[in-house]
Amino acid sequence: MKNKLQKLRDDFLRQLSTVDTSERLRDLELKYLSRKGELSEIMHELKNLSGELKRDIGGLANAVKTELQDKFTEARRLLDKRSGGERMTDVSLPGEKIINGHLNPITLVQNELEDLFTSLGFMVLDGPELESDYYNFTALNLSPDHPARDMQDTFYIDYKNKSGQYDLLMRTQTSPVQIRAMRKYGAPLKAIIPGRCFRNESTDARHEHTFYQVEGILVDKNINFANLKSFLEIVGQKLFGPDTKLRMRPKFFPFVEPGNNGEYSCFLCGGKGCRVCKNTGWLEIVGAGLIHPDVLRAGGIDPEVYSGLAFGFGLNRLAMLKYSINDVRLFNSGDLKFLEQF
Amino acid sequence: MYISLNWLKDFVKIPAKINPAVLAEKLTGHTVEVEGFVNSGEQFDRVVVGKVLEVAKHPNADRLRLTVVDVKKTKLNIVCGAPNVAPGQLVAVALVGAILPNGLEIKAAEIRGEKSAGMICAEDELGLGKDHEGIMVLNGDAKIGEPFAKYLKAEDIVLEIDNKSLSNRPDLLNHYGLAREVAAIFSLPLKPYDKFFQKKWNFAEAKENTLEVKVKEPELCARYQALKVENIEVKESPAWLKERLVAINQRPINNIVDLTNYVMFDCGQPMHAFDAAKVTKIVVRRAEDNEVLETLDEKERVLDNQDLLITDGKEAIAIAGVMGGRHSEIGPDTTALILESANFLGSSVRRTAQKFGLRTEASVRFEKSLAPNLTEFALWRFLTLLKEICPKMKIASALADINNAADKETKIVLDLNWLTVKIGQEISRSEVADILKRLGFILADEDGDILTVTVPAWRAIKDVTTREDLAEEILRLFGYNNVVSRLPILEMRLPETNQERVLERKIKSLLAGKHALNEVYNYSFVGEEQLKKLDIDFSNHLKLANPLTDLQTMLRQSLVPGLINNIKTNQSRPGDLGFFEIGSIFWPAPGNFKKEIAGDETLPYQEKHLGVAMAGEDGNALGRVKAVVNNMLQNLLGYEEEAEFSLLENIPGWANKKAAVSIKIYEKEIGFAAIISPETTEKVNLKKEAAIAELNFTFLVQLVLGRSSFDFREPAKYPPIIRDLAFVVNQKILYNDLRSEFLKFNPLIKKVELFDVYSGSKLPDGQKSLAFHLVYQDDSRTLTAPEVNKIQEELMVHLAKKFEAKLRDF
Repeated sequence: MKNKLQKLRDDFLRQLSTVDTSERLRDLELKYLSRKGELSEIMHELKNLSGELKRDIGGLANAVKTELQDKFTEARRLLDKRSGGERMTDVSLPGEKIINGHLNPITLVQNELEDLFTSLGFMVLDGPELESDYYNFTALNLSPDHPARDMQDTFYIDYKNKSGQYDLLMRTQTSPVQIRAMRKYGAPLKAIIPGRCFRNESTDARHEHTFYQVEGILVDKNINFANLKSFLEIVGQKLFGPDTKLRMRPKFFPFVEPGNNGEYSCFLCGGKGCRVCKNTGWLEIVGAGLIHPDVLRAGGIDPEVYSGLAFGFGLNRLAMLKYSINDVRLFNSGDLKFLEQF
Repeated sequence: MYISLNWLKDFVKIPAKINPAVLAEKLTGHTVEVEGFVNSGEQFDRVVVGKVLEVAKHPNADRLRLTVVDVKKTKLNIVCGAPNVAPGQLVAVALVGAILPNGLEIKAAEIRGEKSAGMICAEDELGLGKDHEGIMVLNGDAKIGEPFAKYLKAEDIVLEIDNKSLSNRPDLLNHYGLAREVAAIFSLPLKPYDKFFQKKWNFAEAKENTLEVKVKEPELCARYQALKVENIEVKESPAWLKERLVAINQRPINNIVDLTNYVMFDCGQPMHAFDAAKVTKIVVRRAEDNEVLETLDEKERVLDNQDLLITDGKEAIAIAGVMGGRHSEIGPDTTALILESANFLGSSVRRTAQKFGLRTEASVRFEKSLAPNLTEFALWRFLTLLKEICPKMKIASALADINNAADKETKIVLDLNWLTVKIGQEISRSEVADILKRLGFILADEDGDILTVTVPAWRAIKDVTTREDLAEEILRLFGYNNVVSRLPILEMRLPETNQERVLERKIKSLLAGKHALNEVYNYSFVGEEQLKKLDIDFSNHLKLANPLTDLQTMLRQSLVPGLINNIKTNQSRPGDLGFFEIGSIFWPAPGNFKKEIAGDETLPYQEKHLGVAMAGEDGNALGRVKAVVNNMLQNLLGYEEEAEFSLLENIPGWANKKAAVSIKIYEKEIGFAAIISPETTEKVNLKKEAAIAELNFTFLVQLVLGRSSFDFREPAKYPPIIRDLAFVVNQKILYNDLRSEFLKFNPLIKKVELFDVYSGSKLPDGQKSLAFHLVYQDDSRTLTAPEVNKIQEELMVHLAKKFEAKLRDF
C-alpha cells in the first residue's frame, strides 16, 4: 500500500515535470487526482484496512494528496503564466452590453420637485383629470361669465347637464385640487399637486394641448406676502442654484389676490442675458399669489382665521429649460430618439 | 393691444429720462406686462418715396410693366403689375431687403426675364388699407428718397401690451387709462380728461327733434345715450387720425367709423354710428329666437332670446356691444348719423360674442364690465373731434339718455393693521394714502389706522371690491420687489404620505431601471379611425365636445392604442422595443370624485392603468411581458409570489385569441396581457411582433397597501432535495394545471420551477415537453433519497393517469 502510494507520487511528479500544455495537464489531473482517479482509488481501499495501519497509511495518503495537489496547482499557475505571455488579451474590449430604460424627463423634473416639497413637509396630492366646471372654474373665483375663462381654452366633454350646458371638462390647471384638498384636509394645509392638464389649443413647437403642472398651496395662520416672496426665493434657489434671484410683478389670476408672476435670474448667464433667457437675464417660471378669500371659503376654510399662498410651475417649461429642449411636443411623442437621452 | 407713446403723451407729460425701455419695465413691474415696443416707423424699414420716371410694356407679359423709378440715390428698374402706374407718380418703393407689414420679403428678382430691383407698393401691402387694385399714389408732400415712414409721419413708439394680463382691467384697454397708470407709477401729473372735450352743446331741444330711445331690458343695458347729427360728410380720415390708428395696427375705414374707433382707443368706450337715413328710433330688446341680422362682416347671424339687440323698433340694426348691422352701416352717401354711446352687461355681451365666435374690440371691452358713466365722456369727446373733422356738422336732436345704472359708490374700509399683517411689513399711512390717491381712489378725511376708501368709477365694477383688492393696489405700486422676504414660521406637522405616488415612483424606476423599458406619456384622447383598426368598440367612450382633430375625439379607456403608436413610431430600429405608461382612463359611469361640493353627483369614472408594451423579432414578446409583470409583482408583493396567467375571457378585438391571458394575483384579476393578432398587426402596419399588458394600477395599489406586513422567514435548517423532471403531455394541458397538481400532490414538494418547454420534431404532433425543478423539503428533518424517489414514482403514476403524461426519454 505504502509502495503503491510512493509509486503513484513519483509517477505523477515525473510526468508533471514534463507537462507543457494545458491539455496534458488536464489529462494528468483526470488520471491521478479526479474523483475516479488513481489517488481516489487508493484512498477508497483504505477503508478495508484496520486499526493502526489504517491511521498510518491514511496519514501518508493525505500527505501525498496535499503535496500532489499543491504541485499540480503550482504547475498550472506556471503554465498559465507562460501561455498568458504568448496569448494577447485585448484589455480595451468593452464589458457586456447592458440595455438601459429611460424615464420621461417630465417624471424626472416632477420627482425633483416632489422631493423638494416633501422635504419641506408638503403632502403630494392627486386629483381627477376630467373635472367639473365647478371645481375647475367656479370654485376658483371664475364665475361662468368671467372673461378670464378666455385665458384658458378648454376641452369640454360632450355631455350637457340639466340646464343644457357643458359642465364636464378636461382640467385646464391643477388648481381644482386646491379646493378638493381644502375640503378633505382643512387648515392648516401644505400640499403640492403635480399632474396632467389640458388646453384646447393647436400644437406647435411651443404649444401643447396636454401638459404638466405642479401647483402648491400653504394655508396657515398669518401667511403673508413676505412669506410668499421668501418661499418663491428658496424654490428658485433649489431649482436653479443658490445665487438665483427672484423678480416679481403683478399678474392677474382670479384665484389669488394679490397675484404675481415670478421670474428667476437666468441660471445659464446669471442675469447677463443669453439665448436661454432671450437676452433679458430673467426666466418667467412661476405664477403665484395669496389665496383669494373666496377660494378659501369655497374650500370651507375661514379667511378671517387662515390665509394662504399658492404657486404653480409648468413642468414642461422647467424640463425644457433644464435640458435645453426646443420642442414641447417631444414629451408626448414616444420617440426613443428623445426618450433615450434621459 | 398696442399703445402709442405719442398718444399717451396727450395725457401725461413723460420726461425724456423715462425712455421707452424704462417705461416698459416699470409698467411691467407695477401694472401690466409690456411684451415689447417698436418704433412704428420700423415696419416701413427700407420703404422709401420714389418717383416713376418711365413706364414701358413688359416684352413677355401683357399685364406687367417695366418701370424706372427715381429713389434719389439711384434709379431702379422695377417690374410692376399695377394697371394704374404712370410716369410722374410719387410712390412707395420697397427696396430689396424690406420686409413689408404683410410679411412679404422683397428680393432682387427676375420676372419673366426682366430684372426687378424692388417693388412699388399697394395700400394693402403696407398694411394701410384693403386696396389692392393698384399702387398707392402719394400726395405732393412726398419728397423723393425720404423714408416712407417719414412721409406717413409714422414715427412713434408703440408698446405691445399682453392682453391676457388685462382681463381684470378694462380701464386699461385705452390710452387715457394707461396714461393714468403711467402718471401713478412715476408720480407725474395727469391731465384731466375733461380738458379734451367740450361739455356744452346746443342740443336741438324742440319736441319734434326728440330721438326716441327705449330700453326694454334695463338689467342688460345700464346706460344708453344717443343723438342725431346732420351735415356729415363721409370721407377719408384726416392724416392725424389715420396715423394714430395705423400706429396701433388699426385699419382706417372712413372718418366716422375711424372716429368711433379713435374714441374707443382714447378712453375705452366702444361707440357705434348708424346711418340716420336707415334708422329713426332706437329700441333695445332681446332677440326673438331665430331672428336674423346680417352683421358688418357680411355674415347672417341667427339670434336667440339670450342675445341683446339694438333695433329700430322693428328690425334689428345691431347686436348690442358686439357688432353693427350691415343695413345701417355708415357709407359714402351717409349725411346724418345716430350716435350710440351705451353700456351693456358684460356677461350678456360675452355670451353672445362667444356663441358667434365674434370677439370684437367692442365686445372685448364690454365683457370685462365698463363703468356706466364712461358713455358721457366718450360722447363729448366724439362730438368735439367730429366738429374738427366735419366743421359743418349740426346736432339735430336732443340727447337721449336712458340711465339704469345703480348710482352707488363703492366704499371699502381698510384697516392699516390688517394691511401690515397681510403684507408682512408696514407701509406708512402717508405712503398708503399717496399710492391710493395717485391711482384715483378717494380717501375720507379722517385720522387713525382705519381708512375709508372710495373706489373710482372706472375701477368699481367687478375690479376693486374688497380690501384684498386694495392691498394689491398698494403693494403693486409700492413694488413687489421692495417687500422684504421672510419665511413663514410654522408648527411642525407630519405630512400624510401619498402611498399611491410612492408606489408609482417605485414601479417607474423598476420598469425603467431593471427592465430597461422606456416611459411614455401618451395623449388621453383617441380617435375613431385607430379604434376601428384595433377593433375596439367606442360606442361607450366619453367624447370631447370640441376636439382639435379627428384623431383625438374621445377619451381613452385603455392605454393600448397609445402604446401601439409608440411601437410604430420606433419600429424602424433593429432589435427589441419596450415601453410603459402609467396614465388615466375614463368611463361614462359614476366615479369616485364629487362633481360639486353640494349634491351627490360624481364625475365620470377615472382610474390609473399601467401599460407595458414589448416588441421584437424573437417570437417571445408575450413571454417577456409576462416576465416583467411577474417580476414587478414580486418586487411589490414579495419575492415568493407568482402571478397566475390563464386564458382571458373577454379577449380584445386586437389580440391574438390564442395568446391572450388574464393576470391574477391572490386570485384577483388585475389585468391582462396579449399578443397583437396577425390581422391587427397588418391593419395598423406593425413590423414587429408585439405584446401588451395592461394592469389596473388602482387595484395594484389596493393590493400592495392591503398586504399584511412582510415577515422574514428563517432559512430552512434541513437541506432540500432537488429533482429534475421532464415529461411529455398533450399541448392542451396547461402549465398552471400541472404546477398546481405538483403542489397539491405532496406537502414535501415546496417549489416547482419550470425550466424548459419543448415542442418540435422529436415529439409527436400535438405533444409538448415540460421540464421542472421540483424542490422537496421538510422543515423538521433531512429527507432521504429513497423517500423522494418513492414520491416521485407515485407522482408520475398520478400524472400519467390524470394528464397522460409520459417521462421524457431523450
